[in-house]
Amino acid sequence: MGGTALEVSELEHRYGAQTVLSDVDLTVRMGEIHALLGANGAGKSTLIKILSGVQRPTAGRLSVFGQPVTLRSARDAHAAGIVTVQQDLGLVSGLTVLENLYLGRPLPRRGPLPHRAEARRVAREWLATVGVQLPLDELVGRLSPVRQTVVALARALAGRARVLILDEPTAALTDQESSLLFTLLRRLRERGVAIVYVTHRLHEVFLLADRVTVLRDRRVVATVPPAEVDADDLVTMMAGEPLASSGAAASARGPEILRADGLTGRRVRDVSLTLHAGEVVGVAGLAGSGRSELLRLLAGAQRPRAGRTAVRGRPLQPGSTRRALAAGVALVPEDRLHQALLPQADVTENVVLASLRELSRLGIRSARRDRAAWAAAARQLTIRATGPRQPVTQLSGGNQQKLVLARVLRRAPAVLLLDEPTRGVDIRTKQAIRGLIARTASNAAVLIVSSELDELTAVADRVLILREGRVVAELSAADADEETVLRHCYGGSSR
Amino acid sequence: MKETRAGLPTVDAAGPAAAAEPTAAGGTRRWIPGTPVAFAALVVLFAVLRPQSFLSTGNLRNTVEQIAILAVVAAVQTVVMAVGEFDLSVGALVSLTGVVAAHLMLDGTPVAPAILAAVLTGTAVGVVNGVLVAWLRLSAFVATLAVLTALAGTSLLLTDGSTLFGLPAGFVAIGRDRLGGVPVLVIVAAVAAAVVWFLLAHTSAGARWYAVGGNAEAAWYAGIDARWMRLAAFVVSGAGAGVAGVLLTSRLASAHPTAGDGLMLTSIAAVFLGMTASRSGRVTVGGTLLGVAVLGVLDNGLNLLQIDTYVQQVLTGLILIYAVALSRRREARR
Repeated sequence: MGGTALEVSELEHRYGAQTVLSDVDLTVRMGEIHALLGANGAGKSTLIKILSGVQRPTAGRLSVFGQPVTLRSARDAHAAGIVTVQQDLGLVSGLTVLENLYLGRPLPRRGPLPHRAEARRVAREWLATVGVQLPLDELVGRLSPVRQTVVALARALAGRARVLILDEPTAALTDQESSLLFTLLRRLRERGVAIVYVTHRLHEVFLLADRVTVLRDRRVVATVPPAEVDADDLVTMMAGEPLASSGAAASARGPEILRADGLTGRRVRDVSLTLHAGEVVGVAGLAGSGRSELLRLLAGAQRPRAGRTAVRGRPLQPGSTRRALAAGVALVPEDRLHQALLPQADVTENVVLASLRELSRLGIRSARRDRAAWAAAARQLTIRATGPRQPVTQLSGGNQQKLVLARVLRRAPAVLLLDEPTRGVDIRTKQAIRGLIARTASNAAVLIVSSELDELTAVADRVLILREGRVVAELSAADADEETVLRHCYGGSSR
Repeated sequence: MKETRAGLPTVDAAGPAAAAEPTAAGGTRRWIPGTPVAFAALVVLFAVLRPQSFLSTGNLRNTVEQIAILAVVAAVQTVVMAVGEFDLSVGALVSLTGVVAAHLMLDGTPVAPAILAAVLTGTAVGVVNGVLVAWLRLSAFVATLAVLTALAGTSLLLTDGSTLFGLPAGFVAIGRDRLGGVPVLVIVAAVAAAVVWFLLAHTSAGARWYAVGGNAEAAWYAGIDARWMRLAAFVVSGAGAGVAGVLLTSRLASAHPTAGDGLMLTSIAAVFLGMTASRSGRVTVGGTLLGVAVLGVLDNGLNLLQIDTYVQQVLTGLILIYAVALSRRREARR
């Protein structure tokens, strides 16, 4: 293990009044695999963005091999020898391996012409540094995921990367492929490359890392060699002080409304659940655990590969949001901007979108009824807008979110599915939305996905925990403290 | 679910509208209603240059008659573009449906069934376009270009590449007669445009079309199946092309296998011009008709100035670029 490759000190980053990173110190040595752990929202993504030059920190110092550097762009980061391989790898699937390796860098030339033979020879050398040979003329899109990762790594190293940042490189890989990747990474470590390894999988930390840094609430909690801790310790570090149980009143449970049996999708595997009127059920899980997909499957927005859903005992035909809505199952999707709002339209058009049939007679709309619908929504959810014709893009994030909620609440759903309903909204709206959830649950079932565990424990009667597509635990609100939930999310003791 | 289509710019102005925060002034930045201003400027320009002829009632009536058919095609093109697609086959379909009507009448079919057959032919082609785009998921560019080619070939086959003359007087009257001083042609076009306007602006189908074009994924989560809406839009477009084919053939008193081809580009140009007429950049029938008026006045004025038709064609191209650039710029700002 050699000298210091990357040193970050007193790094701080703020958006307006919001602090997203504070007082972060991190040292990565040459020939070290340094794991970076943290629950959703702990600040990992921001740290990676800063290290790859995509985002400039508000304060703090950065040095690479002892040289202070200022990273204004990804190009600066490359020049300093820091290369980030994102989860999506940044490859062009319609180009060949060779073309991808030379993406953004000049081909060798002989006189005015590209020197193909030389380009191929150099490309093979690059692949050899990773220790794998691949057919140079194969389209990257036709390679297996692990081979694609190899191309991304070779490309990064060809840029003379001395610090390599990997963001969840095993997310798309099978166990077997992962261990292949680990072999490659260990080889790179021997060659003196400093590797920052971001992961959600605790067992990889123990398998691979020389040291691990844990982030929580935008700060570094600790940097330790994995040998000195166990998985439970790491989870405790990520979770922080156990929250006092908020003790959501276990509301009166009514009759069963929704039942799903063996739902299976791309990520979701064999999930069965029942929802009763009058209850709020939380879904916790790491990003990629299949939380959003579960909601989409239930809402008819995605066709399941297997499994059945029934509402009030009647089977629901899969793969149609229209039929699901008609049966009383409504979803508020995660991404307001891309999945919910009509950006060109005004607030009224947006609020009536899911109830056009009810608001028209023989297919003919009435401006009066539409306006009344908007007025009712604005009043009931206190949506602040200048009038019924205000463009929806002019509303604040919180008011947009209330509008999207109003759209589905108009239909008086029997099952309300909420995906991160309070993301990116201010604290007052957050409270308003929580109140709304409680009111809705008085005669409907609510299933809520949230990355904020305190939110789940505050509103939910019970919490389901998804890990790698399966429900691995069900906790009552009282038992669902942050540490217990995280322990289940991460699979508890090392796998 | 935003699909990037090859070829012409998509009208899907929704895109991932970067979190458009309200600006301090409480609105979007300064906005210039490009098309209304252009229209006014053209009218003033021609009125000054040719005061006697341009503003005469005769010339006005003439202009309206000239643009009536374009108005029908542009109105239905508006529906297709509202749903985020475009229909390149309309022009060839106008030619073909005109040929179908003429062919049937020359074979002895009475006028009314021949007209019906033309409109049904248009509708059927609309179904084909819709299925190709919505179910087989071809890009509108590829699908409607391929259909255009097939239609053009069919028209040539049916006519042997020649013009069909000798249509019944009752049919030709549609393009020549007046009702209370107003050309029948203009009345039919006005009714067709009004129907499309009503569909888009005042029905739940219209709201769904806009929703799919604005954000197909949001529409899907709100229980709207984009496939059916896309199909319906192409069907409207096909039926409208059928109506336009009948009007064009009666006005010319003959059917030529390429008579309507030019309407493809001008109809799309009119819709793009119309997009700059409203602050939101939304496609509307009203805006489109204004775009049609701009193109009509330009055509007419340049004729009065005795400027070569080839020059006119160059100008139409430049205006299209101008209109698209203007609507793109708005998108980039959002």
